[in-house]
Amino acid sequence: MTTLVKPRTLFIGLTLLCGLATWLSLALGPVSLPLWDTLRAALRLMGLPIDAYGLEQAELILGQIRLPRTLLGLAVGGVLALSGVAMQGLFRNPLADPGLVGVSSGAALGAAVAIVGSAFLGGLPDVFGPYVLSLCAFAGGLGVTALVYRLGRRDGQTHVATMLLAGIALTALSGSAVGLFTYLADDATLRTLTFWNLGSLNGASYSRLWPLLLVTAGVALWLPRRAKALNALLLGESEASHLGVDVEGLKRELVFCTALGVGAAVAAAGMIGFVGLVVPHLVRLLAGPDHRVLLPASVLAGASLLLCADLVARLALAPAELPIGIVTAFIGAPFFLYLLLRGRA
Amino acid sequence: MLRVEGVQVRRDRKVVLADITLDLLPGEVLGVLGPNGAGKSTLLSTLSGELQADQGNVWLDQQALSAWSGAQRAQRLAVLPQTSTLDFAFRVEEVVGMGRLPHQTGKTCDEQIINAALQAADVGHLSGRNYLALSGGERQRVHLARVLAQLWPGEAGQTLLLDEPTSMLDPLHQHTILQAIRAFADRGAAVLVILHDLNLAARYCDRMLLLEQGRPYALGTPTQVLQPEIVKAVFGLEVLVQPHPERGHPLVIAR
Amino acid sequence: MRLSTSAIALVVGLLINHGALASELPQRWVSAGGALSEWVVALGGEPKLVGVDTTSQHPATLKTLPSIGYQRQLSAEGILSLRPQVLAGTEEMGPPPVLAQIRSAGVQVEMFSAQPDLQALKSNLEHLGILLGKAAEARALFGDYEQALQRQKNRLVKIQATRQAPGVLLLVGNAGGKPLVAGQDTAADWMLRQAGGHNLATHTGYKPFSAESLAGLSPQVLVFADRALTGEAARAALFKENPILASTPAAKQGRVLEVDPTLLVGGLGPRLPQNLEVLSAGFYPTSSEATP
Repeated sequence: MTTLVKPRTLFIGLTLLCGLATWLSLALGPVSLPLWDTLRAALRLMGLPIDAYGLEQAELILGQIRLPRTLLGLAVGGVLALSGVAMQGLFRNPLADPGLVGVSSGAALGAAVAIVGSAFLGGLPDVFGPYVLSLCAFAGGLGVTALVYRLGRRDGQTHVATMLLAGIALTALSGSAVGLFTYLADDATLRTLTFWNLGSLNGASYSRLWPLLLVTAGVALWLPRRAKALNALLLGESEASHLGVDVEGLKRELVFCTALGVGAAVAAAGMIGFVGLVVPHLVRLLAGPDHRVLLPASVLAGASLLLCADLVARLALAPAELPIGIVTAFIGAPFFLYLLLRGRA
Repeated sequence: MLRVEGVQVRRDRKVVLADITLDLLPGEVLGVLGPNGAGKSTLLSTLSGELQADQGNVWLDQQALSAWSGAQRAQRLAVLPQTSTLDFAFRVEEVVGMGRLPHQTGKTCDEQIINAALQAADVGHLSGRNYLALSGGERQRVHLARVLAQLWPGEAGQTLLLDEPTSMLDPLHQHTILQAIRAFADRGAAVLVILHDLNLAARYCDRMLLLEQGRPYALGTPTQVLQPEIVKAVFGLEVLVQPHPERGHPLVIAR
Repeated sequence: MRLSTSAIALVVGLLINHGALASELPQRWVSAGGALSEWVVALGGEPKLVGVDTTSQHPATLKTLPSIGYQRQLSAEGILSLRPQVLAGTEEMGPPPVLAQIRSAGVQVEMFSAQPDLQALKSNLEHLGILLGKAAEARALFGDYEQALQRQKNRLVKIQATRQAPGVLLLVGNAGGKPLVAGQDTAADWMLRQAGGHNLATHTGYKPFSAESLAGLSPQVLVFADRALTGEAARAALFKENPILASTPAAKQGRVLEVDPTLLVGGLGPRLPQNLEVLSAGFYPTSSEATP
């Protein structure tokens, strides 16, 4: 076992990392802007009285493209990591993933319905198109999760093992429904569906950003209040209740926060795997399993990881773009393996 | 103080526990013994509120157990299960610190209590170690320290329920741990402990309850309960009972 | 922001234009959509192209240009980094928020139709002609195109007076594996009809075929479009991966034709009439060729 990093050191490190990732995400892109211009445009965006002469392009790229994209990345990364912590706590298993309660597969089903359905109806007006997709994905994720939770309840108690199995069954069911829609889809629709399943921060705009920011802020403020209860839950459900934790209420909150967080993230950026699984695990390897540290640290680490992945996504094939889901797995998996093996040695 | 009146528990229509009426008295260690499947753990689950009795009542102080709020109950009643499935790499003092969850006593006070509980369960030297790297017996003692910390320092009105706290311990630690539990009761708390070893129970318990097929067979002081014919009837074991040469409590020897 | 978006857009547009102020016409083009890019090239616009999407595969020289990715998943900043004045694409281009960002950066986003019909092509070519300063050439190109299609139609009418349209299946595959059958409402179906074939597939869109139903349809002609291989290699791969095809009348009589898969995307392209002629010749072989 490697020695753990002190929480203080960890937070300082992660804050610096997150700040650096945010700056890089604002400063780097296919359009190369002079560093000085980027800096001045950033200061202008913060409302400082900087001379606008010669800054128009930098301000446009920064304000309309990179800033909303960076904010989206921070929120998606943060909330996915938080949801991962919540699920690993609920299932008392460090290998649990937000997908286990069906939220991802439900969102995928909702998206398939929206994409194939609107193509079938001859396309929706551009104004509604993106919102319908987001709404359907969000509703799908929430709906399937609610069903999984409902199936897991018996005699006023939530049986986590039943929930896990119900999640697997409903994931398979949603998967086959998505498959059916895939079969019905024409070529072009199919590609849209495929790309959606790989996720992307491309085309972020402020109007579609704020619901996610709201949800992320809510979840990020709420879950840490349950940090000690989550620690106790890791001892076991009955142990936690002997320690005075309202276990049923806690489980309900965890499922709700996950469904809301992952639902909103998926609705805004498509499916982005691996962050929810790897980030909490990674933070645990560094700083131990105490949720008082784990929850806030995972937000920072998840946000940083996603921004770094997005940098690769937008720069690797510029002027074209890689789906970010490919990149998160590509960066995350080897790093994760490295930590695992180092821990064992 | 925990009190049960005429409790009956059924599982799939089969009665697994019946006719239990019991007072856990302040300052007293009550040992619960019986063969496998006699209903010891069911009794403990009922007393801790985890299992609802089909008949009868469980009272904590003057209020029904189920009417207590979580944190209020947890300040008065601590439970040590037989096994624990913690699978996360907490440090030892973090595990023990979870016992302080129902209290708002502040960091300094909590740290003192955690230290005292670690010493009491003889795991002070494990402080800073990773829980997952401990042996089974060490883990058991860490969890004991956790429930001790939950009620520390132990006073009248508090109740500690322990399910086989010595099952994985070496002979020396079986005694040190039961001495710690004894000391805890001496400060005023009521303790119920499930044990398998008749001699350990005779040495450390004030009263003993023998269960047979879910019903109380005998309840009284070790000298009253540990009679050869009672042991034969409950455990099916032929024994000699003699007083301990130094301490005087009954000593059970298989024939 | 103190300046209105349009004012910013204007200024940015001017900034980006600085090298090209001498000419009124946009000099830097990004084109998305296979057929559209081909028309840009046909109108002499190739030197103006600074980037194309992944469906723009023809002529082969386009592949040396920077790729902006798939036309439905464009990246705003990626395209802006090419400093284009015009982004030309079809209604398949997207996603919409990205197009809005590109527009707000002062790039002209010109939309064209990908519908496979002559009217759409006519307005597309007029539009392109004006943007490229080649209005007369565009009109002439369309005139030739229309005539070529008309000639094809006339030929067909004459042939079909005496001969029946052959039953055809069109398979789109990748190195022969798991081919999809082109059904109704596809560009491929339109092409088969124009060439005088009878598409035996009744489903809509592109669907995987089942060996059994394929054998039951007994097509007289097979047309294949392979994304990875061409010519004899593609033909061999198709029959190797799908041995059931060998039992069709088409295979027995050696009537297996090939089309370029890039013809099937993005509306009517300039190479179409010529390809229709070749297909048509395959569907209605002259009597000497038809004799086994």
